[in-house]
Amino acid sequence: MATYDFVFRALGLQDWCTADGSSAAPMSMDALVAQSSGEEASTSLWDLPFPSMDRLNDACQAFPQSRNVTRGLEQGFLSVKDSMSVVLDPLTQPLSWLLEGALYGILNTPWWIVIPLLMLIVWFVSKSWQLLAFVAISLMGLAFIDYYSYAMQTLAIILVCAFLCVLIGVPIGIAMSRSDRMRAGTIPILDMLQTLPPFVYLIPLIFLFSVTEPKLYGIAIILYAIVPVIRLTDLGIRMVDESVIEAAEAFGMTDRQKLYGVQIPLALPNIMAGVNQTIMMSLAMVVIASLVSAPGLGVLVLRGINNLELGVGLVSGLGIVLLAVMLDRTTKAALNRINASQKG
Amino acid sequence: MIKASDKKTKISIRHLYKIFGENPESVLDHVKNGMSKPDLLEHHQHVLGLNDINVEVKEGDITVMMGLSGSGKSTLIRHLNRLIEPTAGEVDLDGTNIVDFNEKQLRKLRRQEMSMVFQHFALLPHRTVLENAGMAMAVRGVPKEEFQSEARKWLDRVGLKGVAEQYPFQLSGGMQQRVGIARALCSNAPVMLMDEAFSALDPLIRTDMQDLLLELQEELQKTVVFISHDLDEALKLADHLVILKDGYVVQQGEPQEILINPEDDYIVDFISDINRARVLRVRSVMEVTENIPDTVAGEVDHDDNLESVISKSEGAPDLTYVVTQDGKQVGVLKMTDLFKALVPTAASEDGLRAGAA
Repeated sequence: MATYDFVFRALGLQDWCTADGSSAAPMSMDALVAQSSGEEASTSLWDLPFPSMDRLNDACQAFPQSRNVTRGLEQGFLSVKDSMSVVLDPLTQPLSWLLEGALYGILNTPWWIVIPLLMLIVWFVSKSWQLLAFVAISLMGLAFIDYYSYAMQTLAIILVCAFLCVLIGVPIGIAMSRSDRMRAGTIPILDMLQTLPPFVYLIPLIFLFSVTEPKLYGIAIILYAIVPVIRLTDLGIRMVDESVIEAAEAFGMTDRQKLYGVQIPLALPNIMAGVNQTIMMSLAMVVIASLVSAPGLGVLVLRGINNLELGVGLVSGLGIVLLAVMLDRTTKAALNRINASQKG
Repeated sequence: MIKASDKKTKISIRHLYKIFGENPESVLDHVKNGMSKPDLLEHHQHVLGLNDINVEVKEGDITVMMGLSGSGKSTLIRHLNRLIEPTAGEVDLDGTNIVDFNEKQLRKLRRQEMSMVFQHFALLPHRTVLENAGMAMAVRGVPKEEFQSEARKWLDRVGLKGVAEQYPFQLSGGMQQRVGIARALCSNAPVMLMDEAFSALDPLIRTDMQDLLLELQEELQKTVVFISHDLDEALKLADHLVILKDGYVVQQGEPQEILINPEDDYIVDFISDINRARVLRVRSVMEVTENIPDTVAGEVDHDDNLESVISKSEGAPDLTYVVTQDGKQVGVLKMTDLFKALVPTAASEDGLRAGAA
């Protein structure tokens, strides 16, 4: 006797409910608890349960349980998975190659080439001695405690993913800034990507791709980190001074001239802020992605947790922080130089 | 001096309407039947921008379109290069209706026929002053090496020597607007549109810029369409003055003519507190005659303003001057006539300020 028997009775559906007569559906958790404690479900108004799927199933065996919904989703996904893989696999294969190539390249180039090269890039981008000194000391420190190869793996993954984020995100942002409809369609997706817990990205990806493939974590990182660069490109272009755009039109600029000659250069500070955020977010994700075989410092953090190696976990965490600070300061320095050349 | 009517018409605006809103065409007939701006807004939720504008812009003239904010003057000037699309009407440039232009023709028009100067300068902040000045040529695809000398020439001409390599933010407002003017001149377009070009500048610099414009105009004889909300500025610059109110033309004509014969209370209010002695010219108040009067106190030029004549006469009320143009007598000016002309037409009872209060 369940609370909502009357619903099915009133609708005259008892026949349907008992049609298969089986009790094939697994027992719901509440029923199990009630059974083991030997109590009949209370019927006072105070304890009236919400007419959820499980409660209705109590009253009518043929009514699906809520577990069936998630199971349905699962089966649905599994049934389209193979055909999706046929399309997605070749499409995303270049990502695997890029990541493999970057990892191979950075680990097989001697440290005495990689470190000066990185410092050269930092100098070229920031023109700041202090930053250069900081980067040099941090990199050498990491190398000294034998964390060099882990840090470089993480760096390689971040650079590849951030590069791809910019490559894909900036055009999407530009398209959004030009069409309100495109914007209205994209923003909910961006909101979802931004709020979805990072672990959740991994679930469908694990089903779609083999865990040994680099593209699995590559896609997870890109999906997670691409949002700010898209948003800020759109925002940056929309915020360009209307009067300057009007002047560009009054002098007969084509759309292309306007985009490359006015809008993108003036939106550049915002786009760079987006790139900075994107890099920071890829760094956050690369640690989580170590759960699905992404190499780098994240692996050490994971080892720290799994084996309760406190020291390893903390030191690699610190290494990630150092890496984050280096990347952040370098991109911010680049941003400041762009700002300086525009606003003084 | 060439009379205005002898000059060729460069731009002719005919029956131009602009209505802002969801579906302007649907309410166009109401407007044509004389529905007022407030009624249109209240009953049809459309804003009347321009109402049956007819203006002839003569070649080589400075045509000033003046009105208070909301009078539609900035909307009107943007119809001349179609930054705003009209709801109905024609804009003819050298006899061709630009409203029918396709995108390509329009771009050509903006690149070669019309240049524009903006109230807030609208320079490209990431380009140097030189690149900004040469923008029109760069847009046409001329490489920097080739437009440099031309851009430099115009920067020098507007008084900006030696700042070519700086960025706009390093310059003061007045200097930035000089760059704006150099940019417009460098495009070599025969028509120059100036949208409240000097309104954002402080008064002294504004006067400088007005003088610069008049000086350049003497030399270049461009067709200038100038938007302003400042009557003194309008009177100083205008060969032809168009006064707008709520999207329609209240009165247009030679500025002196408008001052002496205002047709509308609105105009009367408008001109009630300007310095008439400084604005009115001898030619507008003189008596046209070739007879030489009995007692001549001296000679004045037909284009002198009354203020200079008063200071010449040292305030004596009973003198008579011979008015000359290019050394020949064209008329006679009695001081009594001069003083009469200085009395402003009485302002209407509920004038502009009373209305606003």
